[in-house]
Amino acid sequence: MKKLISMLVTAALAVTSVFALAGCNSANGGGKASNFKVGAIYINSQNDTSGYTYAHHHGITEGMKKIGLDPAKDLYIVDNIPEDDEKVKQAIDQLAGNGCNIIFGISFGYINAFEAKAKEYPDIIFSHATGYLSNDKNFNNYFGRIYQARYLAGIAAGYKSLELKNNNIGYVSAWGTEYAETCSGINSFAMGCMAVNPDAKISVYEISTWGDQQLERQAAETLIDTYGCCVIAQHCDSAQPQIVANEKGVFGCGYNSDMTAEAPKAHLTAPVWNWDVYYATAMKAAMEDPANFMTKVGNYYEGLKAGFVDVSPLTANCSAETKEAIDLAKKLMTSGEWDVFSGVKLSFSGAAGSVAVAKTDAALKTNDGTEIVAAGGASVEDGVIQGSMNYYVEGVTQVN
Amino acid sequence: MKKYHLVRRADAKLSRTLIFYAVGILVSLTIGAIVLGVLGINPFDYYGKMFTIGLVGNRYGYKSIEGLLKIFVPLLITSLALSLSFKMRFWNIGGEGEFLIGAITASIIAFNSSGMPNFVTVLLMCLAAMISSGIIGIAIAALKVRFNTNETLMTLMINYIMLYVIRYIGETKADWNFFLREDSERPKFGTFPDSAVMTGIPMGQFKLLWSVIIALALTAIVYVYLKYTKQGYEISVVGDSSATAKYAGMSVGKIVLRTMFISSAMIGLAAALTVSASGTISDTVTNNVGWTGIIVAWLSKLSVPAVFVTSILISILQYGCQAAATQYPAIDSNYADLLQGLILFSVLVADFAANFKIVKKEEAKNA
Repeated sequence: MKKLISMLVTAALAVTSVFALAGCNSANGGGKASNFKVGAIYINSQNDTSGYTYAHHHGITEGMKKIGLDPAKDLYIVDNIPEDDEKVKQAIDQLAGNGCNIIFGISFGYINAFEAKAKEYPDIIFSHATGYLSNDKNFNNYFGRIYQARYLAGIAAGYKSLELKNNNIGYVSAWGTEYAETCSGINSFAMGCMAVNPDAKISVYEISTWGDQQLERQAAETLIDTYGCCVIAQHCDSAQPQIVANEKGVFGCGYNSDMTAEAPKAHLTAPVWNWDVYYATAMKAAMEDPANFMTKVGNYYEGLKAGFVDVSPLTANCSAETKEAIDLAKKLMTSGEWDVFSGVKLSFSGAAGSVAVAKTDAALKTNDGTEIVAAGGASVEDGVIQGSMNYYVEGVTQVN
Repeated sequence: MKKYHLVRRADAKLSRTLIFYAVGILVSLTIGAIVLGVLGINPFDYYGKMFTIGLVGNRYGYKSIEGLLKIFVPLLITSLALSLSFKMRFWNIGGEGEFLIGAITASIIAFNSSGMPNFVTVLLMCLAAMISSGIIGIAIAALKVRFNTNETLMTLMINYIMLYVIRYIGETKADWNFFLREDSERPKFGTFPDSAVMTGIPMGQFKLLWSVIIALALTAIVYVYLKYTKQGYEISVVGDSSATAKYAGMSVGKIVLRTMFISSAMIGLAAALTVSASGTISDTVTNNVGWTGIIVAWLSKLSVPAVFVTSILISILQYGCQAAATQYPAIDSNYADLLQGLILFSVLVADFAANFKIVKKEEAKNA
């Protein structure tokens, strides 16, 4: 028995020394790659195949490739970090300890930790998605004008409802007016629908969680079966609402990624994010001139113009007029001539081949009649960016 | 067909247990290495980083040690507390819930403490947390003593009740809710004022938090309490046989109430130290110590020195897994969890194998 113990001890020592050596090797070998290192903190796993974290991870890796970084070597990830300041802070310490030059945090609840750690590590750039805090040196926030893409998807839904002679359009949403992110999307989509079909009624079903496949499914079923909706739009994590639309022979607009593969007979188009547009911009600036990061990149809220948001390619399920109308609206938004939450409404008319857009001054009103913007007034898009929007516009009803 | 029986080994030897443990860990690491190999990662490299908790080449290594200690302190105290009640055969699996109650009451004081002296605030937080958690513990013990309710169910349910209480607080924006950041449109837990944030002894850049010293002192106290005091002796008698305790003239009900109060109050203390050290609260503040503590307590056979060692090892495993995973973009925390699970499972199997053997039925009579 003693012999066995001594053998085991020897083996353990040998194994430990191999580990120690391996550790040293990697520490020395680390310098071979580029010196610029990217850190990321995810709410889910980088190995997800769809959803929010997947979209960001895809954006970061694509962005890195664009500017000549190798995601396999220069990217450090701490994943599955809940919105718990202590855990986020420890994740940041890990990334800082590994020498990351820029650290991205993708979830809103990381905000306190990012604020605190930006002070503690003045040499590292902190970049926080969906937040509202920043400083003038090394801490910014970023998000996009996804509402612009939602307006375009609304146009596609509006034409479909005209074609089907059914004014009921459904929207499965994670949250309602609690979050500007969700209600701005609903409002913008609704205005897109009504620019084509003024009689369109948008029914919102709120599932009260960012993602739950079962609830997303049930919500879509209710909207179709009980409320007779002919198009199902969504703001939730999975493609379930589109799959339900496909099963029940109605149409739909996905979100986050092109959901045509999941719902080939139903899908029209989906508002999508091109996160790599931001990530490449931010990493390039942090790499070349970190001292001026806040003047060069700053708080980042781009939209259609920068290609940060867009709609996925229109499918054959779309009505004939859709493409022309979307192109017209896109042009108005990218040129800066017009924005969704202003006192000017667009209306589309004409058959395919001769679709025309008209602008009319009309007040932006909530669904209980309160005026937000007077007719002809300027856009209140800041309410979306700063997160204060907390109402539905005319034509929107929450059904649950 | 032959039938086999499990028979407890008559000769429990420490050396055999250690060898079985080593073999178990080696097997689990080998399985982990195969997975790493399939993913194209050098397992020696990975394990090297894991067991050195990513310290090699880390430019803020002292922060890793601080982070490790922040995981270790609550796990140690909670495991000690659970050992106390397990020793009495009182199945307290409500560590999570008791922790959360303590965390909430400590935070109530913390959020309203600006301007108060740091020492006073932290002391008040600890006391409030200990009393509130202790009351819940004593209430469940009272139900057991008075009505013979099932304490496993009662303590289990407390976990979920408290989890939803803290989620409610964290997600409800309202005037009364001082837990949340005021300037945020979305609900988000705020940060404690400096008066409620744990300080420590600076040692160069490294800061040794008072919570670590308190945890170490508490370990010594619990050790002495169980081994050398009358109350500690009473706990083990009740655990061995409450009937014996009764015949020996002990008031079993009183002992159960007292011990559960101490056990829950210690978990409350762990919670207060944790929220004070991190300067905030969240619905994941427990870091699952209420569950992990059960494993620690059992792996340690409810022995205080063993709880101490096991808590260190499990903290290193947890922290090291994350530290190593950070350096490989392909490895996510699911792998880290898998590896932790494999190691714990194989140690439990090894423990079982060290204490039991399989014999054929006909031999069973003679064994």
